[in-house]
Amino acid sequence: MTVPPDPGVSRRSFLKGSAVAGVATTGIAAVAPAAPAGPTTFGPGEHEIALQINGKERQVKVETRTTLLDALRDGLDLTGAKKVCDRGACGGCTVLVDGATVTSCMTLAMDAVGAEITTIESLSDGDAVHPLVQNFVHCDAMQCGFCTPGMVMSSLSCLQRRGKPTVAQMQQDLSGNLCRCGTYGRVMQAIQRTAQGGGK
Amino acid sequence: MNARTPQEDVKIRVGYKALPGQKGDRLEERTVKPAAGDAPPWDAMTQFALVGSDVDRVDGLAKASGRAKYSYDVTFPGMLQAMILRSPVPRGKLTALELDEAARMPGVQAVVALKEVGNKVRFVGDAIAAVAGVNLHAVRDAIERIRAEYDREEHNVDYLVADDAPMVDEKGAISEDWPADEGMTAALLEAKVTHDATYRVEVQTHSSLETHGGVARWTGNDLEVWLSTQATFGCRGELARALQGKKIDVGSVTIHSEFVGGGFGSKFGAGIEGLALCLLAHAAKAPVKLMLDRFEEHTTTGNRPGALMQARGGVDAEGRIVAWDWRSFGHAGFSASGGSVAVPNYYTADAKVRRNHKDLAIDADPPRPMRAPGHPQGWFGAELFLDELAAKAGVDPLTFRLNNDREQIRQDQWRFAAERFGWAAARARANEPGARLLRGVGLSSARWGNLGNPGRPAHGITCRIHQDGTVETRSGAQEPGVGTKTMLSVITAEELGVDLKLVKATVGHTGDPSGPASGGSTVTPSLAPAARHAAFLAKQQLCELVAKHLGVPAANVTCAGGLVGLGKEQLRWAEACKLIGPNPIDVRGQRFANYDSKPFHGSQCGVQMAEVEIDSWTGFVRVTRMFGIQDCGLVIARKLAESQVLGAMIQGVSYALHEQRIMDKRSGRMLNGDFLRYKITGVRDLPELECHMHSIANGHDSVGAAGLGEPPSVASAAAIANAVFHALRAPVRHLPITPDKVLKALAQKG
Repeated sequence: MTVPPDPGVSRRSFLKGSAVAGVATTGIAAVAPAAPAGPTTFGPGEHEIALQINGKERQVKVETRTTLLDALRDGLDLTGAKKVCDRGACGGCTVLVDGATVTSCMTLAMDAVGAEITTIESLSDGDAVHPLVQNFVHCDAMQCGFCTPGMVMSSLSCLQRRGKPTVAQMQQDLSGNLCRCGTYGRVMQAIQRTAQGGGK
Repeated sequence: MNARTPQEDVKIRVGYKALPGQKGDRLEERTVKPAAGDAPPWDAMTQFALVGSDVDRVDGLAKASGRAKYSYDVTFPGMLQAMILRSPVPRGKLTALELDEAARMPGVQAVVALKEVGNKVRFVGDAIAAVAGVNLHAVRDAIERIRAEYDREEHNVDYLVADDAPMVDEKGAISEDWPADEGMTAALLEAKVTHDATYRVEVQTHSSLETHGGVARWTGNDLEVWLSTQATFGCRGELARALQGKKIDVGSVTIHSEFVGGGFGSKFGAGIEGLALCLLAHAAKAPVKLMLDRFEEHTTTGNRPGALMQARGGVDAEGRIVAWDWRSFGHAGFSASGGSVAVPNYYTADAKVRRNHKDLAIDADPPRPMRAPGHPQGWFGAELFLDELAAKAGVDPLTFRLNNDREQIRQDQWRFAAERFGWAAARARANEPGARLLRGVGLSSARWGNLGNPGRPAHGITCRIHQDGTVETRSGAQEPGVGTKTMLSVITAEELGVDLKLVKATVGHTGDPSGPASGGSTVTPSLAPAARHAAFLAKQQLCELVAKHLGVPAANVTCAGGLVGLGKEQLRWAEACKLIGPNPIDVRGQRFANYDSKPFHGSQCGVQMAEVEIDSWTGFVRVTRMFGIQDCGLVIARKLAESQVLGAMIQGVSYALHEQRIMDKRSGRMLNGDFLRYKITGVRDLPELECHMHSIANGHDSVGAAGLGEPPSVASAAAIANAVFHALRAPVRHLPITPDKVLKALAQKG
């Protein structure tokens, strides 16, 4: 398995003028009157954007400074991703953007326009549950559970990229996720059990 | 059998069967007198259907799927967000506070003062005022417009230079004479080998992933608060009192706390953030959410205090400890309390013993209890001291423990752990001369002394059986991640003889029966007997219904294995429950007093061993493997119990090697109040971990369960420090054992 290329969704790409113009055509309903040419400006204040989340288009009001995490949690009540450090240091807010893990607290909501966002909520629907989630339960890979959704998303990415990851690969892929209760060993067991076809 | 209530004496078997590989059961008979109406006691001979098995965490799917709603996740239409303005001054007085401009900012709905002009400011992070607005951007903008001014006083955030601090030499050792004590002097003179050394630990923050705070909503004068807490009932009382003190008309106060993202001892009170939340919601006439940010969490919600500890002692020619002198100084905050240190007492039964402790005040956030308060600090100092003393006396550390440890349970545990861990071989393995990687192994004991209590008034549990066959078990106590819902479900299903899937446990709403705070590992041993009693009472009522239906005497009806009836006349559980009718069987079980008789053992014993690998070029320490054996009382849900023990060992790695609050002396501010610079153990630091759950029937109450927050948290850092001592052949007497300290120890050794 190879690692997919960086999808390029970051605060940096937002700062490039061309990137802003690019995303503006793919779903941002600007509140400013349409100018004949040149870059579109947003703010101050809120405007509505469309995000592709778990295969559905969702409208949400954001400011230019609103993070993807706040847009998901406060704007759309998708509270699986947690706000823990708000500085990209703990992985509690991990979601997938175009298949790669990102810390949604370090991603501006506007930067995620046009990208496919996958959150923890996509891994279960009533009683239908993704095997990885099932294996987190089976292996008791949680205690307080606050880091768990982020752990699950990093684990999912690990499995998708690596198939049958080694311990070193799992440690690499989970190294951005902090757990205070000390569940790391069991998280890796849950990944391995999923790779071996368990939990289906 | 169900209707028979044992009020007479009951003989039970307590203790434990021989550990794997060992000979001889440690079982004893006890006569106990259960309270009238309580369930008959479970003991060492009880055969269980569910208890002790590998059940899944009952709310595991809710947590792993992201559906679990923590206080941080609760939201309401029109809900406001809020933040607190914090003092940048470590010590002084508030001389001006102007809130008007902030209140006029767009989107702002309420501003409240949390200090009045003239009030003292006690530390960087002391709460000054709070703002609620439509979103955090608006609130942050408004906070910047509050004008607060301070008279600054001289401050000190270093306890080693506090007024009452002892003299310390350039190596960090206490250089002040020991207070005179003739008995101690004589005991030390008689000893064959003596030792004297100073140990030190740094401040650790709890670092719960869900920060403190919650959501408050008023309906008229009725208040509901969704709070991230370890003490629903304590917070209810605290908030009601505080609001009354602010002359606010309070009808009812209800706390909700279904899911809590960790607490570790820091979340017993609603705190200033809890009060601010309720005041803002009252003023704004709208629901308000206020969750602390990570810096506030590190700097304003307590910590495990640092400590400076000195030990001296001696052994006789037989290697027995004859003198044990101990003094410690706690790194307390402005409250000048909470810094105390605990040390083991089971090695020194025949020794002359003295212990002294003093807390030293500084201008910082005060300590709060943290997983086994005082214990990891003191065990680190005491167990490393013992290894140094043993080394001077030329005795192997394990032999030294076996010679001096007076607990039978731990004598078995020491031998069992040594066998499993491969102690003798690992200890004998010498590092090659000139080798870059140095290996070593170390060990430590553990104890915790709390097996639950009835509460005042008695804790309770509601049990309901519905006509559809489902069962509810409810407690108003909270669950910060330890598995209380699973414990309640397993006990209830076991007592009723039904499938675990039929039982739904609910915790965390103060409308339900009262339970203890999640502290001191008391929730499981306090509530398990109450849950059992509730199920026992509900079962009796169901048996009576079935007896009436079958026309048989109720006293002989049994309820087990999903069948209710007498002899060949048995109803399936679902059929039996149809007799209940629209109103459920609804009973309240009670936590009775602990049995009068002496329990098998009044505390919990444990032993841990650790192996480290140290890079002598960089000073970097890696814990490669750990083994722990832990007295768990009656194990109720095996996987969950193991999770707690393994988690405690990982936290021990963190405490031994990584965690340290660093204060800036000039500003009084924490320099590393975030997860980038305050390091907690990550997945790459994970050793190979194994634990053995030592199930012991303690004969304490009808269940005999024990909590596992504290017990496994005591030994880990001490065992790692001893392993480092073995690897380096020189002790590092100051936690965390960071590379600089390792290199210094190597350099001093020469």
